[in-house]
Amino acid sequence: MVILAILLPILFGLLLLLGLPRALGVLGAGLSFLLNLYLFLTHPGGTAHPVTLPLLPGVGVYWAFGLDGLSALFFLTIGLTVFLGALVAQVEGRFLGLALLMSGLLLGLFAARDLLVFYLFFEATLIPALLMLFFYGGEGRVRALYTFLLFTLAGSLPMLAAVLAAKALGGSPSFLLEDLLAHPVKGGAALWVFLGFALAFAIKTPLFPLHAWLPPFHQENHPSGLADALGTLYKVGVFAFFRFAIPLAPEGFSELQGLLLFLAAISALYGAWVAFSAKDFKTLLAYAGVSHMGVAALGTFSGTPEGALGGLYLLAASGVYTGGLFLLAGRLYERLHTLEIGRFRGLSAPAPALSALALFLFLAMVGLPGLSGFPGELMTLLGAYKQSPWLTAMAFLSVIAGAAYALTAFQKVFWEEGTQKTEDLKGAEWPFAALAVAALVLMGVFPGFFVKGLKPLAEAFAKILGGGA
Amino acid sequence: MTLLVLSLFSVALTLLGFFVSVPLFKRFTILGLSLALLSLLLTWGKPFALGPYHVDGISQVFTLLALLGALWTVGLVRSGRFEFYLLVLYATLGMHLLASTQNLILMLVALEALSLPLYALATWRRGEGLEAALKYFLLGALAAAFFLYGTALHYGATGNLLAGTPGEGPLYALALGLLLVGLGFKVALAPFHFWTPDVYQGSPTPVVLFMATGVKAAAFAALLRVAAPGVPDALALLVAFSVLLGNLAALGQKEAKRLLAYSSIAHAGYMALALYTGNATALGFYLLTYVLATGLAFAVLSEVSPDRVPLERLKGLFHRDPLLGLGLFVASLSLLGLPPLAGFWGKYLVFTEAAKAGQWGLLVLALITSAVSAYYYLALGLAVFQKGAAEAHPRPLARGVALGVALLLILLGLIPGAVLPALAAG
Repeated sequence: MVILAILLPILFGLLLLLGLPRALGVLGAGLSFLLNLYLFLTHPGGTAHPVTLPLLPGVGVYWAFGLDGLSALFFLTIGLTVFLGALVAQVEGRFLGLALLMSGLLLGLFAARDLLVFYLFFEATLIPALLMLFFYGGEGRVRALYTFLLFTLAGSLPMLAAVLAAKALGGSPSFLLEDLLAHPVKGGAALWVFLGFALAFAIKTPLFPLHAWLPPFHQENHPSGLADALGTLYKVGVFAFFRFAIPLAPEGFSELQGLLLFLAAISALYGAWVAFSAKDFKTLLAYAGVSHMGVAALGTFSGTPEGALGGLYLLAASGVYTGGLFLLAGRLYERLHTLEIGRFRGLSAPAPALSALALFLFLAMVGLPGLSGFPGELMTLLGAYKQSPWLTAMAFLSVIAGAAYALTAFQKVFWEEGTQKTEDLKGAEWPFAALAVAALVLMGVFPGFFVKGLKPLAEAFAKILGGGA
Repeated sequence: MTLLVLSLFSVALTLLGFFVSVPLFKRFTILGLSLALLSLLLTWGKPFALGPYHVDGISQVFTLLALLGALWTVGLVRSGRFEFYLLVLYATLGMHLLASTQNLILMLVALEALSLPLYALATWRRGEGLEAALKYFLLGALAAAFFLYGTALHYGATGNLLAGTPGEGPLYALALGLLLVGLGFKVALAPFHFWTPDVYQGSPTPVVLFMATGVKAAAFAALLRVAAPGVPDALALLVAFSVLLGNLAALGQKEAKRLLAYSSIAHAGYMALALYTGNATALGFYLLTYVLATGLAFAVLSEVSPDRVPLERLKGLFHRDPLLGLGLFVASLSLLGLPPLAGFWGKYLVFTEAAKAGQWGLLVLALITSAVSAYYYLALGLAVFQKGAAEAHPRPLARGVALGVALLLILLGLIPGAVLPALAAG
């Protein structure tokens, strides 16, 4: 079942790359979303649908996949965001094919139960991301591409050393997650192993000061926002810290916890600060992403169950609302051929429904209670407060700043007086809006339903740290 | 068996060459190499010894790789002279011998037997090629002298001519060091790499393909045997130099063959990591992925032009010929070692060996330089998609082979477990 869910978008992606029409891609994204929704709704708890096939059994590598509560939640949000993108992004079939391919690889990444297989997907996802940027990016794409590539590889190749060391030094018989968890790395080497992981995942979170690849990546990507939405989903750092880096070398994490908490709080504040002065949509969203991931990372690094739970929920929710906002920016670009915030004026008069959709998305990002951003943010800050009140206060400032930058942007674009004419929602944008709003509200009102599978994982995570510290 | 087939065909074809037409001769050469391949596969996993000639696992795996390289070269080349094919055949015979003996004297003979034809092949294009070939010849002769000197000292230190004899003392260490230098020239380990960029750039592309695949395979087989009792400390220096210099120098290259020459230096450094534990399977797999990927890259380049190929001339190749363009793209990514391509597993396996041997410093250096290499591999791989007016006049067979090898690289990346047991059994 899991394998099917991973292969389905990859298969459709390859078909589209061979030149099949775009409509087939929308169908593929829809099927993938429905399958992922089904997997999420029928998730029985624990690790469902485990699969273990030999890859290189001689050295302990297995195609091991499984769906625990965390993976199931991300399956749902990835399926949803990609489907939203497929619905509205007016791009050619091959572009959508690359996006589907990437979403399949991301699903593999979230379902992997073997460290090396996780690494495989972590790296492989890079290829479609690069190709999307290369083929469909803007003027400065080559520069952005190299920045992105070199940042990613500078992190992920040292991580390969950490992957090898985690098995060799911990004495685990294989790279399977349960084996590795039973043999965590101890002693002085733990710090080095953790550092190897931490560098890669901090880049992918992204944590200040390793975020420099992200703004050009978004600015140069195709204005439709499809690649950006996928790129947002690719920010798997917080998840990877939670699933792999911290549990495999808890002693190493304990030594660096203070520094990481500090960096997370700085990221939250810094991202919000820069977002406030951003001139165009994509820069705003890129830095808002840095800020939000800082908050999410703060929760995970706090080592408390609430914090970790909140951080992961925020990560999942932000995939939907940030992805949605990027796609919305793409809609605006198609209407008015600009992404500069200052060039839009008073769009709410000619396009009330579009403006309402934007308001929902912005408010979710701000963390308004009742929408999907709030529960994660609240739990994160609650958990982090237990660990370090001062840093939490700093991160909290970023939440306030978030309200400032997001609402200022919204106000400028939609409410200020202006005479710009534009179309309201049309065609496939209606289901897009309905689905997005439904997801935002449901994730905001019933967070308990979405995190029930996460709770035991977060508690186990906190227990590892309690025992390791 | 393999030896018999190769030497019979070499001798017979030498005489035959004067009487038959060149296209027919080419077919005979392919037949000879294929029969050698067949005989190798038929006796796979069965050791055989006759005097100093010793067929074992290492010999079979690395001969297989050399034969693949030779077949590819012969298939690719469009030479109007029969000597070309004959020289490839003789060099292949030398490679098989080099991979199949522990006797240092026989190794030296084999080393020369594979080098002399290559010197001639390198001059195939006059002019610039001549200078490169002269460099190759002089440095090669120097390397052989180092090897011979090492052999003599080895005999002095251990009273034995068998590579892999354990020993101790400064004389023994010096002997091993000299043998290492001699073979290091052949596999292009820095700082014995000076010939590589010039020769790769100046020689005809099919010949470069042969050098990059066959010679590396055979010489690494010998290195495995020489380094069996334990690696000299100096190897760490060679590895560090190779991965640093190869990757950094490749960054600024504007010509594809020169770029791949530096890449081959870097790859020699990565492969040498496997010498620490002497794991022939890991090294064999790495070489297999390397032979396929670098062979594919050179094969595509040779369809674009038999001469120099500036990166500019590759622009637009994908639009001109999608199969060749994709082939070069896949080859670049595999050389970079990005999963899910075969090159990743090659890297993974040799890096594991380095980890087992506790060489964490070298491992981290190798990984960081791998990240650096992304820059130029991507420049090479993405050039084909850019706007430009690349020209190519591929033959249908070349396109088919490009597609097949590209698929093989992907397939090996997804199920590397399928060939590893076979390599280990050899």
